[in-house]
Amino acid sequence: MSHTTAGAMSPTTSRRGLLFGTAAFSTAALLAGCTSNETKDESPAASDQSAADDKPGKHVTIGFAGPQADHGWLNAINDNAKSRAKKYSDVTLEITEGSNDTAAQIGQIETLINKKVDVLVVLPADGKALTQVGLKAMRAGIPVVNLDRVFNSPQAYRCWIGGDNYGMGLNAGTYIGEKLKGKSNAKVIELAGLDNLELTKQRTQGFDDALKNYPNIKKVARQAAEFTVESGQAKMAQLLQAQPNFDALWNHDDDQGVGALRAIEQAGREGFLMVGGAGALSAFQAIKQDNGVLKATVLYPPTMAASAVDLARALGQGKGVSGMAEFEIPASITLYSAVVDKDNVDQYMPTGFR
Amino acid sequence: MAPESPLLSMSGITKSFPGVRALDGVDLDVQAGEVHCLLGQNGAGKSTLIKVLAGAHEPDTGTIRWHGEEVTLRSPIAAMRLGIATIYQELDLVEHLSVAENVHLGHEPTAAGFVVRRKTARASTGLLLKRLGHPEIDPARLVGELSAAHRQIVSMARALSHDVRLIVMDEPSAALDPDEVDNLFRIVGDLTAEGVAVVYISHRLEEIRRIGDRVTVLKDGRAVAGGLPAKSTPTREVVALMTGRNVEYIFPERPASGANGAPVLEVQRLAREGEFAPFDLEVRPGEIVGLAGLVGSGRSEILETIYGARKPSAGQVRVDGRVLRPGSVRAAVRAGLGLAPEERKAQALLMLESVTRNVSVSSMSRFSHGGWIDRGAEKGAARAATRELSLRPDNPSVPIRTLSGGNQQKAVLARWLLRGCRVLLLDEPTRGVDVGARAELYAVIRRLADEGLAVLLVSSEVPEVLGLADRVLVLREGRVVHSAPARELDEHRVLDLVMEGSPAS
Amino acid sequence: MTQHASPPRDNTDKVPSVGQLPVWRGLLAHADVRTLSLLGVLVALILIGGITKPDEFLDTRNLQLVLTQASVIGVVTVGMTFVITSGGIDLSVGAIVALSSVWATTVATQEYGFAGILFTALIVGIGCGLVNGLLIAYGGMVPFIATLAMLASARGLALQITDGKTQIVTVTGILDLGERDSYVLGIPPLVIVFAVVTVLGWLILNRTTFGRRTVAVGGNAEAARLAGIDVRRQRLYLYLLSGLCCGIAAFLLIILSGSGQNTNGNLYELDAIAAAIIGGTLLSGGRGTITGSVLGVLIFTTITNIFALNNLQSDVQQIAKGAIIVAAVLVQRRTASTT
Repeated sequence: MSHTTAGAMSPTTSRRGLLFGTAAFSTAALLAGCTSNETKDESPAASDQSAADDKPGKHVTIGFAGPQADHGWLNAINDNAKSRAKKYSDVTLEITEGSNDTAAQIGQIETLINKKVDVLVVLPADGKALTQVGLKAMRAGIPVVNLDRVFNSPQAYRCWIGGDNYGMGLNAGTYIGEKLKGKSNAKVIELAGLDNLELTKQRTQGFDDALKNYPNIKKVARQAAEFTVESGQAKMAQLLQAQPNFDALWNHDDDQGVGALRAIEQAGREGFLMVGGAGALSAFQAIKQDNGVLKATVLYPPTMAASAVDLARALGQGKGVSGMAEFEIPASITLYSAVVDKDNVDQYMPTGFR
Repeated sequence: MAPESPLLSMSGITKSFPGVRALDGVDLDVQAGEVHCLLGQNGAGKSTLIKVLAGAHEPDTGTIRWHGEEVTLRSPIAAMRLGIATIYQELDLVEHLSVAENVHLGHEPTAAGFVVRRKTARASTGLLLKRLGHPEIDPARLVGELSAAHRQIVSMARALSHDVRLIVMDEPSAALDPDEVDNLFRIVGDLTAEGVAVVYISHRLEEIRRIGDRVTVLKDGRAVAGGLPAKSTPTREVVALMTGRNVEYIFPERPASGANGAPVLEVQRLAREGEFAPFDLEVRPGEIVGLAGLVGSGRSEILETIYGARKPSAGQVRVDGRVLRPGSVRAAVRAGLGLAPEERKAQALLMLESVTRNVSVSSMSRFSHGGWIDRGAEKGAARAATRELSLRPDNPSVPIRTLSGGNQQKAVLARWLLRGCRVLLLDEPTRGVDVGARAELYAVIRRLADEGLAVLLVSSEVPEVLGLADRVLVLREGRVVHSAPARELDEHRVLDLVMEGSPAS
Repeated sequence: MTQHASPPRDNTDKVPSVGQLPVWRGLLAHADVRTLSLLGVLVALILIGGITKPDEFLDTRNLQLVLTQASVIGVVTVGMTFVITSGGIDLSVGAIVALSSVWATTVATQEYGFAGILFTALIVGIGCGLVNGLLIAYGGMVPFIATLAMLASARGLALQITDGKTQIVTVTGILDLGERDSYVLGIPPLVIVFAVVTVLGWLILNRTTFGRRTVAVGGNAEAARLAGIDVRRQRLYLYLLSGLCCGIAAFLLIILSGSGQNTNGNLYELDAIAAAIIGGTLLSGGRGTITGSVLGVLIFTTITNIFALNNLQSDVQQIAKGAIIVAAVLVQRRTASTT
């Protein structure tokens, strides 16, 4: 129950982040026995501490609807939600089969509304397209916890919790900027994610804004991959060919980073600093081993799903958040995009997803 | 020759395609109210000429005058606006649309510019069909459900749905039975009486005699004769113009001694429900057996069933005494059967390929080792086979689509010759083949028989069966009604047998 | 072209009635023009690359890179060319690549090492091709629908196997094949496989009875059947061949990316079809060209390379890709019709 982990965390951790963000996957999980980095424990390791009072209360049925888990991060979202719900004797999780089809997801959410679940947790395949069904749930008296991809209207959710794409870019840029401080004419390249997603634009914007603080650094190239290993390898290989030398690389996504690292290895390139994104286990392991170019990764924590279940339970039971003065839980919670490097990687290791 | 300017006057029309000069300065005059027949061998330029007339091809040079005024036919729509309608041999109807929708395709009667007025369309279609002597065709039926003859009527109704002054008919009688041909001629008579001109293309000289006013003969892209009187020009002269030589006789002589020896093909109680009743048949090496019958008598179905392309409901086929696996083309081909099907382009030819590849397709294993083709051997074999049949041009590397109908047919025969086939099944072997080339094809078929092949011939043209075959089976409505040596039969007798029980003669 | 001027062993005493020019010369010229126009496009791209990025583009490593990146989709396109030539279509190639690469990189498979991964990739590809072929040839299903069903099922199964996770390959024998150390005379092993598949594909399509039957079935299936060709068996073999190519491609992709992921082979079906059509293979069947298909693949890969080297973003890349498809087809039609 105690929040004693602040000291081990990145110094920039805010109070809000301490409560709901990085704190949600603090060392508590390690203390709970999941100490080995080698054992591939299937249950994700969000911290055991709940956002709200975790004495068993009124029974709450939580409906959970997410997209198809065809990507490591999304898969981790589902796992986090499931295992979190399992920890509560007073929570039943009604989880739908994930779908990337907007119409199918609307149908699934409507089914959950008809089943009269107490609270809904929705990670929409497309935030804009699912706003209407969010409104419908709210009007039917079912509070909605909107996970990550935000609805168009604040009326469509009671509470939004999600990552900070702009912050990811900002922190990645700042980390790289600090590392390259004092190096004149430093060159940086960027391997972005799917360019037709808004979050990719936000990440790039944050990165660019951070780099403005470091006049000695210039971003010389950017290519967009597709969050897949295959595209990561292909685009990185091209970037490496285009840039005979550079000092740092930011890669938006650790999944495509597997391919990017492969391309770097194949080209036999070294002598630069690579920062990843999202927080995959393979990235953490590489950072810990510290024998390659990957030195850090910026979190976009899938543990937000566990927090969402906590928030849903609290909403169902009419509780507030411990550690905050307010009676009601906040309307919006933006998670902090912490930078994980060799110094703090052990702490995050259990939260890494595959 | 006419005091006023003709309805249509084409002069000096040329049109070239890659490697081929299809039209070479053709003149054609058509008067209002006349039936102007267009004659010529396949490849003589008839199709190109009517496509120019229909606006489907733009001529390279030459002028087209309509009512004496020069016009350009840039598109089929432009031709249609002038009043020129074309009924192609391969009817261009949409099978999944109704009769009325087909008739009004492209110029649907509409309300508010886009809502199709179906009732109006059906009513006017009904009137057109009545005028064409076929009030029994329901305008609401799908064209795909209609018989070939009825489709032709629909095609004609479509032409008449425009304000038409000139109708081009490309072999309209090819798929029709005699009484349907009579109806066609009645319609043509009605049209010309109203002052509509008809350009009529046919291979059947007797038809041209019956309804034609004037004849223009095309040969090698030139009009070798224009405006001959259709009724009085002697047949021999017309044939000579088309072929460039005098045709003394058409059919080759039968060998003095008849075929003997064991039958190579035996058909026993073979039947297909709803198509033809059980029948027996034997063909010996050196013998040509003919099947005569009208459209729908089951002729083609019989050939395709023997060949294994259709599965029989009863009976069996033996080659050299051995029973063939029913319904297997490959078993039939292995046993030595070869088919020259009725629809050459759709069923026999690889139109994108060279003559060589069309000829070698059934015998690839002969010039391949472990799947690898010896192309030199292939080409040599194809050349030998096509030369034996005097296929023109004497260059098997040309694409097969550039060949005339008769030469395409020879390529099909060469395919089976090369395969070493023992029984040749010929379904309408001279369809789309002009008179001059027919005689040559008959001679080829007879020679193949003389060399020991057994030939089973199907034809809708009674003189062809009687002239070529040694023995004739007469079919009526899926039954063999008579079987006799060809010498003992004449055209009248066969027609009687074929028509027996039906009201017409 | 001069060697075509006097046709070998041509009998000239009988002048063809169709015209003065032997038509086959025109046809040959067509084939040449088609390939030449593609080569022209490629040369133009190489000029653009050489001018805009002389140092990075005109470089051995870049050549190695472009050819390596072309290898995976190239092998798929060779198989697709056969299927399209036969008048069919295979929409499932990307999904089969995904399933093969995923199945071949599970923890269980990786225990069998190099051979286990290779064998599994090929067998899964062939197996999917077999199902496609049986459904189409003997089940009477339309290729579009049968392979669409395979696309959905194979992607689903790939997702189920991985559970959305990236399967990292730890077998060093596999990983080494993607490294510079294993280049043979400067040629990456992947490129060697691509070249071998291309040459074999060309030989099979142009020099064997199998190729002839493929063209015959695509040109006129009914005529092929009545000529004694076992059309159904041929179709079965063709989808098997396409599946096999997908298996090979999956293996190459495993080497390249060092992993298996269910998102592998994304939209390969469209890339392969586009490359084949640009190359001059008729979508309606009856004519196919391996040379053209491979040139099509190289054109696409070179475009991607030039754009990346010039740091142009994916929106521009996609627009240009579409424009080049249209331009290439239009140029071909123009040159073909004026010859």
